[in-house]
Amino acid sequence: MDAVEKANTERQKRWVKDQKVGEGTYAVVYRGREASTNRKVAIKKIKVGQFKDGLDMSAIREVKYLRELKHQNVIELLDVFSSKTNLNLVLEFLDSDLEMIIKDRSLVFLPADIKSWMAMTFRGLEFCHRNWILHRDLKPNNLLIASDGQLKIADFGLARDFADPGYKMTCQVITRWYRPPELLYGCRYYSTAVDIWSVGCIFAELMLRTPYLAGESDMDQLKTIFRALGTPSEQDWPGHTKLPDYVPMGQFPKQPLRDLFTAASADTLNLLGQCLVYEPRKRISAKDALHHAYFFALPYPSQPTKLPKCAAQLTAALPLEELDGNTLTGKTNRLKRKLTSPSDDTKTRPAVARRLDFTKPTPGS
Amino acid sequence: MAASKTPLYEASTQFKNWRYSPQSLAKVRSSLNAAAVAVIRNTFEADEPGSSSAVSFLTPDEEILLVRLYVSKITQLCGFFRFPEEVEATAVSYLKRFYLKNTVMDWHPKNVMLTALFLATKTTNNPISLEAYTNNIPKTNPSDVLDLEFLIAQSLGFEFAVWHAHRALWGIWLDLQNAPDAPPNRAASQSEVYDAALRHVRASRLSDAELIYTPSQIALASLSMASPELTAEWAASKFPSESPSLSMLQSTLGSITTLIESAARPVDVEAVRGVDLRLKLCKNPEKVPGSKAYLAKKAEEDRKAEEKRNRKAAIDAQAMMEEGDPFGDELAGRLVDYDDDDDDDD
Repeated sequence: MDAVEKANTERQKRWVKDQKVGEGTYAVVYRGREASTNRKVAIKKIKVGQFKDGLDMSAIREVKYLRELKHQNVIELLDVFSSKTNLNLVLEFLDSDLEMIIKDRSLVFLPADIKSWMAMTFRGLEFCHRNWILHRDLKPNNLLIASDGQLKIADFGLARDFADPGYKMTCQVITRWYRPPELLYGCRYYSTAVDIWSVGCIFAELMLRTPYLAGESDMDQLKTIFRALGTPSEQDWPGHTKLPDYVPMGQFPKQPLRDLFTAASADTLNLLGQCLVYEPRKRISAKDALHHAYFFALPYPSQPTKLPKCAAQLTAALPLEELDGNTLTGKTNRLKRKLTSPSDDTKTRPAVARRLDFTKPTPGS
Repeated sequence: MAASKTPLYEASTQFKNWRYSPQSLAKVRSSLNAAAVAVIRNTFEADEPGSSSAVSFLTPDEEILLVRLYVSKITQLCGFFRFPEEVEATAVSYLKRFYLKNTVMDWHPKNVMLTALFLATKTTNNPISLEAYTNNIPKTNPSDVLDLEFLIAQSLGFEFAVWHAHRALWGIWLDLQNAPDAPPNRAASQSEVYDAALRHVRASRLSDAELIYTPSQIALASLSMASPELTAEWAASKFPSESPSLSMLQSTLGSITTLIESAARPVDVEAVRGVDLRLKLCKNPEKVPGSKAYLAKKAEEDRKAEEKRNRKAAIDAQAMMEEGDPFGDELAGRLVDYDDDDDDDD
């Protein structure tokens, strides 16, 4: 056997797949563990054989960037090995994501909790940007939550580096509701500001508990944005009418953020507003956001361990013995979900809320 | 935060896993070579006792010679496809790194080169369809490229990100334009310096420089070959005069210059042809489709796979018996298992 093959077999033996937890178009996610320590992990198995061009781009991007990035607020890629024609990514195990937490109506968020999640998101994002990497798909279900409450940015399948200026980039990135106006207008040269817009949308969603700018189509997305934040003038955003896909959208007046976010502090609204500035060059950077007064004002961010956790996460955190043969835990859980989420959902969420893409497996969900 | 104090480059997999001293580099290559020779000798002997004594195996240096030739082919192909410089530089790094984990006698550099280049187009975000790629390369099928892609990715440790000297050179060039006493319009008036330095960076790709030195060291050495004056100006702006680092830097630049100069000499095609001819006789027969050893290895693998399947079937059957109902209780529960294609890889 070749040395390379041997090394791969050795790596493969380090990890045990336990149970399938999700399946998507290009990957299957398993819960697993490290054989020697029983440390829990998620194993994302990417089926490569089916691609006629070999290893596919999203797998390559994910591996390329996660191999280089090590940060408390970025998901850790522990190992990579292959099995026949499959690529296996061993990722740290994370039992829920911010979307699950936002949707869990039994949870109450304090302003300090939101500040804590925002701080962790900006820390992780600042690290990506410092390493010249754009994430390009930030949304609540790509922000995973560890059992100790730490938030980790995940899913680098659309990421790219931006160190070389002047290269055209695709504007078909970022899930619609979190996509900034410059991409909706077909801008092909953009920056870290695209990720900041997404974080702004997530910030708002944490306060509203429902997606802030939920457009029904790419066209409607712009309209939804303008309805919320006012149609930009040439002064607000110089040159935007010259962007490739520019279309006039009609005039919507500026609405003060205060009208919608009635309970938010002035610092909160200031930071939110700076994330949602139309002119990308004037949008706040992740680094400046971390130094924003919001993070230094009372209340201080909650300790990650003290953050609200959703029921599913609590169940997962129970020792194994309690789960084995104790079907009751599972049942109560299901019952509770039935009572709270669906009915609440229909009342408070717009119908489009169901259009979110749940098909993509999230490690640990 | 501790993280912010570490230079970005030092957090990279390139810095952590792909740096060698000239000695360790030689050691890696000679031990790979020795191990391969031993295995192939055994295979020959198993096929026909006594047959290996007449074979003249390649030496580590001959392996390097052959790899170097294919490094230069990457440049030709990139010119043909008009790939950006980053693709070319990345493919070259992949090819060199591959042969720090494998030997030429197991895997001929021709197909490894083609696959490394194809992989580099994807990892640098310049993808091209496999069809468009192979259609433009004579005597090449999609399978020639695909069959090796996984092996190459594995050999690279799935570490696809590479830091390049031509980028570092660009950075130094921007520094120089920004220097306090830079003449106005330096970018235009001294552009021939930059062009010459870039040629040296390109020549360095044929050497081991990137496995020993950092991209910025290689870039600065290339600049010093083009213009010692500008190099001194740049160094003076970065280090206090009399700094001991300055003299250390000088000796490093000297060693890199030697490497680049020797790499710039053209490859002796006749010598390489000789190596390639001998390679036909000494390459690992287990990797040659159709050979006796290849078929034997294949049969052995098939037998093992069959054994594993049987074992699995036996376990499944037993589980079914233990459940009591030989027809199984609930179909639904079982169906999930068939859905799961995990079968093939535990």
